[in-house]
Amino acid sequence: MLFIGSGPNDFGRESEHDAAIFQVMPELNQFGLEAYLIDENPYSLSLESLAAQVFWQPLTTKNIKNIIHQEDIDTVIPLFGGDRALRIWTQVVQDWQKGDGPLPQTLGLSIEMMLKTVNVAAMTDYLAEAGLPVITNHVVHARDEANDLLRQVRLPLMIRALHPIVQNTRRIVERVDDFDEIFNQVKTQSLTQEVVFSRAINGLKEVSLQVMRDRRGNKLRVGASEDMDPIGIHTIDSLSISPVLTLQDQVLQKLRKYAFDIADLLQLEGTMHVQFAVDDDSGEIFIIKVSPYIDQMAMRTTLATGYPTILVAINLAIGVPLDEIRLPHYFHTKTAIMEPMMDHVVVKLPVFPFGELAESGVQVNRQLSSIQKSVGTVLGFGRTFIEALEKAIRSAHFNNASFSPTFMQGISDDELIQQLIHPQDNRVLLLIEAIKRGYEVDELAELTHIDEFYFYQLQRLLRLEESVEAAVDNIGALKNAKEHGLSDGLIARFWHTSFEIIRTLAQENQIDVTYKAVEPSAGEFPEHAHQYYATYEEENESTQVATDSILVIGNGAFRMGDSAASGYLMTTVLSELRRLQYHTVIMNNNPHDATLMPHLADKQYLEPLEISDIMKVVEVEQPKAIIVSGNRRKLIQALRDLEQNVLIMPKQKHVPSGPTTEQSEFALNFFFDGHDIYPLNITQHTVGKLRILKQKITAPIGIDPEQCPSPGVYQIIWYINDTKPMVSVNTQPIDHDTWLRPMPFGQVAFLNKAMQVQWIRLTVRAMLNRLTEEDYQLLSELNTKCQTQTQIKMIDAHVDYSLHLQSQNDIDSTRFEMGVSITDE
Amino acid sequence: MQRHLILEDGTVFAGESFGAPATTFGEIVFHTAMTGYQEIITDPVYDNQIIVFATPIVGAAGIHAGAYESMKPTIRGMIVHDLAEVSVNRQRRMNLDRFLKQHNIPGLYHVDTRKLIRHLRETGSQKASIVDFADDHAKDQLVATVLTNKQVANTATVKPYANPGRGRHIVVIDFGLKHGILRMLDDYDANVSVMPYTTTVEEVLTLDPDGIVLSTGPGDPRVLPDSVLTLIRVLQTKAPMLGIGLGHELFALANDAELLPLSSEHHGMNHPIEEIVSRQMMYAMQGQGYAVDPESIDRNKLFVTHRDLVDGAIQGLRHRDYPAFSVQFFPDGAPGPLDATTIFADFFDTVEDYVEHVQS
Repeated sequence: MLFIGSGPNDFGRESEHDAAIFQVMPELNQFGLEAYLIDENPYSLSLESLAAQVFWQPLTTKNIKNIIHQEDIDTVIPLFGGDRALRIWTQVVQDWQKGDGPLPQTLGLSIEMMLKTVNVAAMTDYLAEAGLPVITNHVVHARDEANDLLRQVRLPLMIRALHPIVQNTRRIVERVDDFDEIFNQVKTQSLTQEVVFSRAINGLKEVSLQVMRDRRGNKLRVGASEDMDPIGIHTIDSLSISPVLTLQDQVLQKLRKYAFDIADLLQLEGTMHVQFAVDDDSGEIFIIKVSPYIDQMAMRTTLATGYPTILVAINLAIGVPLDEIRLPHYFHTKTAIMEPMMDHVVVKLPVFPFGELAESGVQVNRQLSSIQKSVGTVLGFGRTFIEALEKAIRSAHFNNASFSPTFMQGISDDELIQQLIHPQDNRVLLLIEAIKRGYEVDELAELTHIDEFYFYQLQRLLRLEESVEAAVDNIGALKNAKEHGLSDGLIARFWHTSFEIIRTLAQENQIDVTYKAVEPSAGEFPEHAHQYYATYEEENESTQVATDSILVIGNGAFRMGDSAASGYLMTTVLSELRRLQYHTVIMNNNPHDATLMPHLADKQYLEPLEISDIMKVVEVEQPKAIIVSGNRRKLIQALRDLEQNVLIMPKQKHVPSGPTTEQSEFALNFFFDGHDIYPLNITQHTVGKLRILKQKITAPIGIDPEQCPSPGVYQIIWYINDTKPMVSVNTQPIDHDTWLRPMPFGQVAFLNKAMQVQWIRLTVRAMLNRLTEEDYQLLSELNTKCQTQTQIKMIDAHVDYSLHLQSQNDIDSTRFEMGVSITDE
Repeated sequence: MQRHLILEDGTVFAGESFGAPATTFGEIVFHTAMTGYQEIITDPVYDNQIIVFATPIVGAAGIHAGAYESMKPTIRGMIVHDLAEVSVNRQRRMNLDRFLKQHNIPGLYHVDTRKLIRHLRETGSQKASIVDFADDHAKDQLVATVLTNKQVANTATVKPYANPGRGRHIVVIDFGLKHGILRMLDDYDANVSVMPYTTTVEEVLTLDPDGIVLSTGPGDPRVLPDSVLTLIRVLQTKAPMLGIGLGHELFALANDAELLPLSSEHHGMNHPIEEIVSRQMMYAMQGQGYAVDPESIDRNKLFVTHRDLVDGAIQGLRHRDYPAFSVQFFPDGAPGPLDATTIFADFFDTVEDYVEHVQS
């Protein structure tokens, strides 16, 4: 069975598919099935899985066909690689010739339905024929033809030109009186003088459902979430909340029924995400997108509910009915067939790249629209909306500086109104500022199309902050603040003191954190829970997992740069710790990151990653060591000040800039095991491309081990003003300006694959003094034992920065990397 | 204002007061449904009960005219973690807090409901009280209180009434029905007569029903007068019959099956229910304190049609000789999934067959 990976990272494509494929391949082995995988992403963990035979090749129809023929593949599973994998597989199917032999079967979705899935218009027609509510488009040539339609379709309308001659011809008609003018204008923008009408759904509420369906037609709902932001802002860029709170049961049940109807229509065997637009006033519902494959919502729902969506989906794909699925022992025996219930709130916040880009002088359009601008996601878990929101905001920012109550004071009233109507990334703070300035909730709701519930909640938050600020050192206020998710750091800001003082004050007054399990029965059954979040209530459910545990601090949200590589690296760290039989604890808040796969760690804390959050987990778990990525210097220092044993995965504070278009960046790479230095190879980095030289390093490297703070892969860097691929360079003596740095995580991932040596695992073993005889032997005979595949290169993927960010200047694709591929072409 | 919930076993929970500041006694149960709080608190099936909601925030959907399951809620209290004060009606004046005040029902929020539910799942349902102070006096009072077992009498109609339609004539025997049943019958344009449970065979037959529904209702069906069982035994031979919830339990009792009280009452909408003949799974709202004892079923009279795949409990029965069947769960979806609304389609199919049969 061939899995098709999802390729390089991109906007809306983090590590979710790799994490999904990584966890399902061993499941297939259990059924006696052989797994194969093709992918080109060097940060893919699945490409290093022992559960499959893997091919690092670009995801092209040719490569896929070749593998099918070479390996006698009879089954293909595209749905775990998301929409990209599905599209490529659809192409292969369409290009399949008679001479190609029998077409392998596709699991999960029939070919007919795959074709509909990748073609929005075909899917819309199909759903409409089945009587399901979709937005229908009407094409009109003349004004009088429009009259009939005007009677049928409700206002507001969206009008756009068919075959437009200018960009963005979309206009909204709110009143019948405006119709003529707008119609005539748009008509002139069409090459064929044709105009497309549809019901405008901007401003409606966006709701997502995740459902499962098996071969027998049994269906269940895994979860649902609602976006705070109305339709018009890309759902990935929206603040969203789970469970759905502001919809009546009757409406939500209708959505569920539609989602089930669609799953039946598609004859789906797996999981599906359906997006709806809901008009609260008229009760109208529209289906806006059907995604019958693994996507970010599937991963988020898994983490938010504790329901193992991915594991269940692979069982469904290979034909096991829902009620016969056997989950691993760490789940309740009925978990697969019980619809998960939530007794906590999860707020999803997008993370935007604007801040980092602005710091490096790149100005981009910050206005949110239907085109995705965010690059990462965090979840905040809590027992109230405010608590979950506060934790999500802290997770997104690592600190509370941008969440200060004075942050938005400088904005003028005009600007405020403008931004309310045309929201930017800071909109939560903007909404709070608007409430502060006395705007009424119904005014704001009308202006922003955000449900009043959220304004009442933000009002509560504002009152809470005011009451905390006014009551310095008051224990009641402290308790209240902690119960609503305010961090020690933020309270310290209000009270002009330090987080340690607040932490001590809370401890002295028995204001203690309580960890609650995330499990799908909402307390109905005893579950073998292993995911926890912090709140401040009466009962704590988390106790020390083991006396020899190691705590791994995850990297939080993806940002532009090397986030996917960092996620890959930390996941490998966890996996190696497991192999070495340590008990592991992970803290993270990014649902698309592979570190949060079920049971990769003995325990997960779904928490912000501020020092105060980490120390609370440390108090419960008393870990033997804490592993942190080297760029988090403040955190490392703070943990060391608190006498914690911190192990560092070496990394620079910022992702380094890449070479200019005229330069090559050369690196002499070496491994440091804590005592000795082992030269590896030389790499040449030009814009968008990294290659390994065939040249062997024969002479010792003149680096004092003192200069390397901890075990890991390091490199000596120098530049040459020449971009030609070189066969060899002079390294002894290095007569250029050189400097030493830890190898960026992305390059480590590449080196692992090109050298077939697990440098991350070796680093972990070195840190823990667990290097084996074999390891030392490998290190001492690298030149002979290791066949480096120098034909493999790492190249930039084509990411459309201008579409997403509308930036004025060029973006350094090394520092602000979105995705890369490995290729031997 | 801080108020308290005390349980019969002595456990005390503190919370903030909302709704009415009344002191009440009732049986405490927990509910895992994430939506539908208005339907739940107005459903007479929860008469005399204090309901703990697992869902973390309650009230964010407001109070809707279309979401009443009875006109007057008779629960004894609502325990939630967080309360949202949202009003959605045209006057913008009715939220959950005001609604409970209007009906003199107390609520507590800011309670560690997860701890409470984990506790109740071990102890089972028990008596509880919402009071200002959790002192010995309040505890003694709770222990001394005997909860009423006249819940059906408290909630069912005392007079017959009609919900006219142009379709088949359905007689509903009311044991404290939820409006969802009437809404479903309305979907089939049924001409509905709702009769008190104290009605007689003659009264019902005089109405010449095309079908009979035994409604949902609260409490222990075994305390109802024997006349109810006699009524069912006769009527099931005269016209198609559908029993729901308490109606299902009564249908079982009337056919000599016995009930077992559940160690912990089950209230939620996430258990898979299997239709045994088709092996199809469905989800529906469940609110039950009793289950039919499988050992007690006389296989010459009844057979099992549905079961709960989580605990194996019987969820549906059918009579071998008559067009009569029943379901333990609530197929009307108010609140809850609409997966099981086909039960009503089956019922109306049975009614059509019956009518045709009689005419021929």
